[in-house]
Amino acid sequence: MAILVLDILTTAAILFAVSAGLLIILGVMKLINFAHGAFLTVGGYMAYLNGAAGLSPWLSIPLAAGVGFLGGLVIERVIVRPLYDRPLDAILATWGLGIVIGQLITLGFGRGVQFAPNPISGTTELFGVDYSAYRLAVAVIAVLLVVALSALLKLTRFGLNARAVIMNERLARGLGIDSTRVRALTFGLGAALACAAGALITPLISVDPNMGLPWLVNSFMLVMVAGVSFPSLLVASLILGGAQVVVSTYANPILGGMTIVVAAALVLRISPKGFSRA
Amino acid sequence: MSTPLLTVDALTSGYDSAAVLHDVSLQVDRARIVAILGKNGMGKSTLLKTIMGFVRPISGRITLDGRDVTGAAPNFMARAGMAHAPQEHTLFQDLTVGDNLRLGVATDRLFRQCLPEVEAVFPRMIERLGQRAGTLSGGEQKMLLMSRALIARPKIMLVDEISEGLQPTMVDRIAQALLRARDELGIAVLLVEQHLDFALSVADRVAMMKLGEIVEEGTRQELAASDGLAAHLAV
Amino acid sequence: MHDISAAITTRFRVAATGCIIGLLVVAVAPWLLDTYLTNILIRTLFLATVVMTVDILWGSVGILTFGQSAFFGIGAYACGLIFTHYGFGPGWALAGLALGIGVGAVVAAATGWLAFFHGSLPLYASIITLALPIVLTQVIFSGGNFTGSSSGLSGFPTYYWDLRIWFWTAGTFLVLTTTAAWLLVRSDFGRVMVAIRENEERCAYLGIPVSRIKIMLMIASAVIASAAGFGYAAFSNVVAPELASFQLGTEFLIWTALGGRGTLLGPIFAALGIDTMSSWLSGTMPFLWKLLIGVVFVAVIVLLPRGFAPLVGGLFRRILPVRTAGAPARVLVPDTRSRLGQGADDQKPPLRIEHLSRRYGSLSVLTDVTMTGRASHLLGIIGPNGAGKTTLMRCISDGSERSGGKVEINGAEIGRGAPQDIVALGVGRSFQNTNLFDTLTVADCLLLARYRIDGARLFRSSVGIALPEPALDILRATGLDQRLADETGNLSHGMKRGLELAMVLATEPSVLLLDEPTAGLTRPERMVIGKVLGRLTRDYGLCIVLIEHDLDFVREISDRVVVLHQGSILMEGTVDEVVSSELVRSVYAGHHVEAAQ
Repeated sequence: MAILVLDILTTAAILFAVSAGLLIILGVMKLINFAHGAFLTVGGYMAYLNGAAGLSPWLSIPLAAGVGFLGGLVIERVIVRPLYDRPLDAILATWGLGIVIGQLITLGFGRGVQFAPNPISGTTELFGVDYSAYRLAVAVIAVLLVVALSALLKLTRFGLNARAVIMNERLARGLGIDSTRVRALTFGLGAALACAAGALITPLISVDPNMGLPWLVNSFMLVMVAGVSFPSLLVASLILGGAQVVVSTYANPILGGMTIVVAAALVLRISPKGFSRA
Repeated sequence: MSTPLLTVDALTSGYDSAAVLHDVSLQVDRARIVAILGKNGMGKSTLLKTIMGFVRPISGRITLDGRDVTGAAPNFMARAGMAHAPQEHTLFQDLTVGDNLRLGVATDRLFRQCLPEVEAVFPRMIERLGQRAGTLSGGEQKMLLMSRALIARPKIMLVDEISEGLQPTMVDRIAQALLRARDELGIAVLLVEQHLDFALSVADRVAMMKLGEIVEEGTRQELAASDGLAAHLAV
Repeated sequence: MHDISAAITTRFRVAATGCIIGLLVVAVAPWLLDTYLTNILIRTLFLATVVMTVDILWGSVGILTFGQSAFFGIGAYACGLIFTHYGFGPGWALAGLALGIGVGAVVAAATGWLAFFHGSLPLYASIITLALPIVLTQVIFSGGNFTGSSSGLSGFPTYYWDLRIWFWTAGTFLVLTTTAAWLLVRSDFGRVMVAIRENEERCAYLGIPVSRIKIMLMIASAVIASAAGFGYAAFSNVVAPELASFQLGTEFLIWTALGGRGTLLGPIFAALGIDTMSSWLSGTMPFLWKLLIGVVFVAVIVLLPRGFAPLVGGLFRRILPVRTAGAPARVLVPDTRSRLGQGADDQKPPLRIEHLSRRYGSLSVLTDVTMTGRASHLLGIIGPNGAGKTTLMRCISDGSERSGGKVEINGAEIGRGAPQDIVALGVGRSFQNTNLFDTLTVADCLLLARYRIDGARLFRSSVGIALPEPALDILRATGLDQRLADETGNLSHGMKRGLELAMVLATEPSVLLLDEPTAGLTRPERMVIGKVLGRLTRDYGLCIVLIEHDLDFVREISDRVVVLHQGSILMEGTVDEVVSSELVRSVYAGHHVEAAQ
């Protein structure tokens, strides 16, 4: 029982960490970044390279975040900005970008599976059971992430500007907010979060050119259900992630893999705004 | 004689390739109120949107304080001292009154300094800083709109049909606010209106816009005396 | 008249010509191409048929779908499963085809139900279509030996026909379905599809069953895709989960985007070109090819959103200038069977509102509003800004809006109905801001408004637009009857308002909700509207509810007036009663007629 609970909590945390970058971009730019999976993969490979270079595994996260941020700024300028008026096209363009990134990674690293070193190996004892220490660490990091992002949004002037752009970009510009810069920074931040999440979860799974794909779809469903709010993303991660763990454990891992997608689709059908208040 | 604050020179602008404004020229002096009158569809809103930068001009020039600002982006114009009180997309309905006002000023520190200004003109606004803007009535929202435009002490305000749908008492208050802005804060106003009496009660100069062109122009007295105005507005 | 029918037959002639040319090419090609290329092309022809359905859904209606591959896979697996586990022969083949198409249709209906409903976001619908192939591939994986799991099924008995025969089968299927699709897109129904893509909300308020149409199109596309999948599997003798995967689904989108969405022929040629190249190069540099396509795809989306078709088309036109068959000129016809105003019943009032309330959290916008709208009466609703007038109209026309209370139209409760259901009950609503379809012509818009009553021809265009007399009056008075072929985006404000009103009347409501219909109109235009409204109440017995700020206008045409203030009814009575009331005066504080003389 304790293991089940811990599994649910850590799975939810991982899902949250992976989806946070997508949420930010959706909120400010009203766009689903289909290259999200590719960013995760890039982050994963950064962790692998980091390990191969012999550096401390904890370094891989900020390193991935930095690469993600810079790459995000470039991608926003070249691909996303021209598609500002065409959100559905932006989905396709970012998907195409994801394919291109995937192919480049394959050309560079081959199709094989790689591994990244684990910053905290072994288990610790919690609630009477031995549980992977790193998984617990990831859960803690995810919670800290919620707090930091919410603070950024609610307390800083950048956050207010971002919220203004989220609500009504035209009006925001009329008030002097450089919405182009806000969007660019947001995309960079979203990409950084995605890469960092990739580096974060890599020690738990392996890295291959297509690792981001399943996370891509699950993150979308979570973000759609959660609406634009970090606390509700956490709640959605808990509920749907929990459902996935329960189904995987008691029924069948393949069905478990589908749970989030199916459950989210049904939730959205019944309540189109998901868990956030209408 | 100081240079005019805002000049518009032979401005032609519109949407896609259809010109709505044709060769429009006007100027607004410092601390003066200029009213543009005309019925719907005559191009008044387009004029303000072009000046503010939401619509790219096809040809012509706009200068602010002697600087050429033709085609500049809206956020640039706002930072340069131009405040826009539009007809649509007016407020952030989901943000509080306080947050809406904050966004009218560049930094939060300035906001605290400027808040007393708002209090002087619309005292009840201060009581409602925590209220969601979307829950205010139409008239109160217009007051908030004016407050936000005033708060940063812009050089010039572009006000688009603010009297629309308001009761006479409310219209009077807006008029008072505009006069106070001009007299005590030195703010110039470019006012676009269909409401003849309101416009005449505050304007120093009046221009008549018809089918995207300025057809008559003069001081308030000159135009109030002419029959042309009422005729233009009626038909 | 001769010109009009000539225009229509021209379209059929073009379609027939294209079809025949296509069939000829298909017939001749196998003799000109080598075996390897023919082999590849047969597969590609089946895939191109699916791409055509993607273009219908995405290019014409605006549904970004990743899921057509799922139906392709269903058809393919139907073939593989039947032939592997059950039997082989003409009977089995037909059964398999029927099974594939049947299951595809059912799944499409279910997906459509999940994705399309009043208020669903396009993004959400796309994600559902994304989830579909993912779920399907997982189901296939978990099928063990029955479905062959990740390796799929192969080597099952099938029709080992000559390559030529397969080529003709695949090619003919493609040409015939494409011809039908081409006619569909250019028909009246095709205009409905475009309208849905441009402004779905407005379509709902015209009584068009948007969700149902989308689901029907989804089912039709699924049927074609499943059939194509069946053929593909029967030919290639292998079925694998890749055929149902979302990667294949996105490839369809890529080909559609590159070819030119909405052009039908563009995506087909793109599919033929790219997939053939991919198979051709599959020995040499598969990754570089995929990389190249990916880069070109991104570049096309960003720089050439309409794909390559317009470029190619432009080139063609420079080489051989062809007179294209334009849209047929339309004719306005009085609707002799018009049931305008006949929805009313003596016993039940056209509009009855009881204890209606609308809250946003703790804020009450409407409180306990009770009122009745009578037939042959014009009820004016006035009140200061923020009184809740437009909210009231929204609550009448959309069942999901109100927080409490009851609304009855001709005795029937609206419940939580969607706008199109309420239009079906007899409500017509015009909006404060003109809300039309910029690229459609005036005639298209009027036909659209008649959808609920006259339907829309699936493969043809009607010449006559039947409209009730009052609608014709408005069109004549505003001069719109001379501008039927103009795009609505180019009309003046006054004409747009006139068109909106005509469109609402075309839906033959018994209750008319008008939100500031005269805003921005000139005096003569206002008088026309006033006259038409008068005629509607007197001669047609309509119940009209009108929101207005122009008190003179209200005074002239209303029978009764309701004054709304801060969400409740302040007073109700005749025009004179209300205007002379002290209470109303104090609320308005001497509000007088606006400056226009």
